[in-house]
Amino acid sequence: MISNLVLSYLVLGVPLLFAMVIIVLPTQAIPSTSRIGAFLSGLTAMFLSISLLCHPKTELVGKWLILDPLAGLFVAIIGAVGTASILLSPSYLRDTSSSVVTLGNRDRVFFCILFIFLAMLYAVPLAGNIGAAWLLVEGTTATSALLVGFSGKRRALEAAWKYLILTSVGMGVALLGIALLADSSHGGGLGGLTWKALGTFRTSHSDALIAFVLVLVGFASKIGWAPVHNWLPDAHSEASPPISGLLSAALLPSVLLVAWRFSAAVSYVIGTKAVHEVLIAFGLVSLTIAVPFLWQPLPWKRLLAYSSLEHMGILALGIGFGGPLALAGVVIHIVGHAIAKSLGFYSATPLLAHDPRSSKHCPSGIGRSCPKLGASMGISLATLSGLPPLPLFASELLIMAGGFETGHGVVASIAALLLAFGFIGLIQAFLTIITGDSHHHNAESLVKVRVAGVFRTGIVSLGLLLGLTYIAFFLPSSILVHDIIYRMR
Amino acid sequence: MIGLAEWLMVGFGLGVIAVRRRSTAVTLATGQALALAGIAIYQAQSINEAIAAAALGIRAVALATLLVLLVSRTRETRPVRASVPPAIRCGIAVAMALLLVWLVPIANKSRMGITQVSLSLVGFGMVMAATRRATLFQILGIIFVENGLALAALGLTNGSSLIIELGVTLDLSLIAVVASVFHDRIFAEFGAGDISMLSDLRD
Repeated sequence: MISNLVLSYLVLGVPLLFAMVIIVLPTQAIPSTSRIGAFLSGLTAMFLSISLLCHPKTELVGKWLILDPLAGLFVAIIGAVGTASILLSPSYLRDTSSSVVTLGNRDRVFFCILFIFLAMLYAVPLAGNIGAAWLLVEGTTATSALLVGFSGKRRALEAAWKYLILTSVGMGVALLGIALLADSSHGGGLGGLTWKALGTFRTSHSDALIAFVLVLVGFASKIGWAPVHNWLPDAHSEASPPISGLLSAALLPSVLLVAWRFSAAVSYVIGTKAVHEVLIAFGLVSLTIAVPFLWQPLPWKRLLAYSSLEHMGILALGIGFGGPLALAGVVIHIVGHAIAKSLGFYSATPLLAHDPRSSKHCPSGIGRSCPKLGASMGISLATLSGLPPLPLFASELLIMAGGFETGHGVVASIAALLLAFGFIGLIQAFLTIITGDSHHHNAESLVKVRVAGVFRTGIVSLGLLLGLTYIAFFLPSSILVHDIIYRMR
Repeated sequence: MIGLAEWLMVGFGLGVIAVRRRSTAVTLATGQALALAGIAIYQAQSINEAIAAAALGIRAVALATLLVLLVSRTRETRPVRASVPPAIRCGIAVAMALLLVWLVPIANKSRMGITQVSLSLVGFGMVMAATRRATLFQILGIIFVENGLALAALGLTNGSSLIIELGVTLDLSLIAVVASVFHDRIFAEFGAGDISMLSDLRD
């Protein structure tokens, strides 16, 4: 029986190995090798995830690594979305002609960076201390920025530049807060930066609070919480669809987990009330900023990007509320959002081939002109809107109920109102995209595309989403949620 | 107590905020990075600290080489004008530095001077990224933040955090390298390294 520690090394090592292998392979062998790499890294991730989720007692909390059920959950999400993104990348690359590198090297560079990015992404939820987590998150910025701007198109370069500069400055602010904490923790340096030891400051409450705010504001710039979210709609809409899926479904929640672990650790010093208030503030502001954009007729990927802002806000609220109901809602929300959002972004590749104008305009009548593609987009959007009986309805309900349960009734009411407005906006977009008027399409401009892959992904996703709704009924009283409350209280 | 090298770092920082020419800015930024390496070498008391100091020295030289290459590869036909005049930029930078020094607690009073300089450099970097339109100056803004944080880390940590310290140096240098790649591509695509041209993405 392989230990969790060995499995975690495999999870991190397999993508790195394939990144190196791809450098020396002949060009024609790259897509097939990438597929093997995707399967192997996904498989190791699933093994580790199942082991961590099924045997929470075998957790390992060290200086560098943390192997607990939450890490298992996130590794599973990254594994699934990462595998799907790598598998769908060849079809994207086949349809695109522009890139920042020469055509001969395009596939090699793309997959090499993608595998390095994936390795760093796997490492983020497994990082055992805030210093290592910071390094890894900043590492994902460098690699994912290259992927965002990979097409070399003007808009992609603009998006990549904004992403790189804004998140780097933000992460610099976070590092400043970390340095202040390290200065005042017992023993200084790395020993004071592990999740467990973070709560042992010698500093005053107000000093620790300032350091906490600096770190959280810094990480917020990477999570995409408003008001430091400006890069998010641009980067998510201009990256290639497989990369957008990975950014939205896996990267944002993984960084959110770092912020969550950090908040839980320092709450011993500054108090849970202060920590929860800051998180709730980020959540409410993100929702308030996101909702008006969900009412606008935006291009598909841009709509999904603003939806990410909304959902990161909901997660901040859930973590901020705490309690079994809200935290069960957070778990369901993270998984449901990952499935729905990756499906949405994966649908963008055939959508852009079918209706090239949809890169700059709100798509309309796709359900009529290409029913299978419309079905996949519909499943994604209906889930993201929180339409019952899909799981984000259940998770949002649980989070709001958690707000009332923990005495945040006013905030929960305001959030519920904002969610209702967001729902109306997204349902309006749903109706336009699926059943809207497609007469304005010039029939010749619509291209017949193969959508069997995306359609199958949509059907599988729908099954998973409905299964997740079923799980939502039992999750608040589950061992997993009790374990999360125990660790993150 | 703030020494000559720390004052030099602040002076170089304000100089970069004020100047218009990219080559002058690169020279001043390199001076700042070398001053940081000098402080690290002067303070080194263990083999780990000596390694960290050497890494900072190598980083200063590597970044200077990269930036000089970038300037020579992307010759601007005319300098990119900043939207804010130099005196106001410097004023905003000083105000930002003072705000950070006032706001951020310093637990270790014996290191107050060096921490204040670190905070000032972080503030300068943020102001530069916000007020300069030239992409190269925004890269220098990141390098300033990086220099400030590296200065804060000097002597702050014990030997066991060498990996973190080196990792931070490498990580932020990697960001600067990636930003340089994009500066090069933006110049090739738009004909200038000017962020005011990056205005397609609006809602």
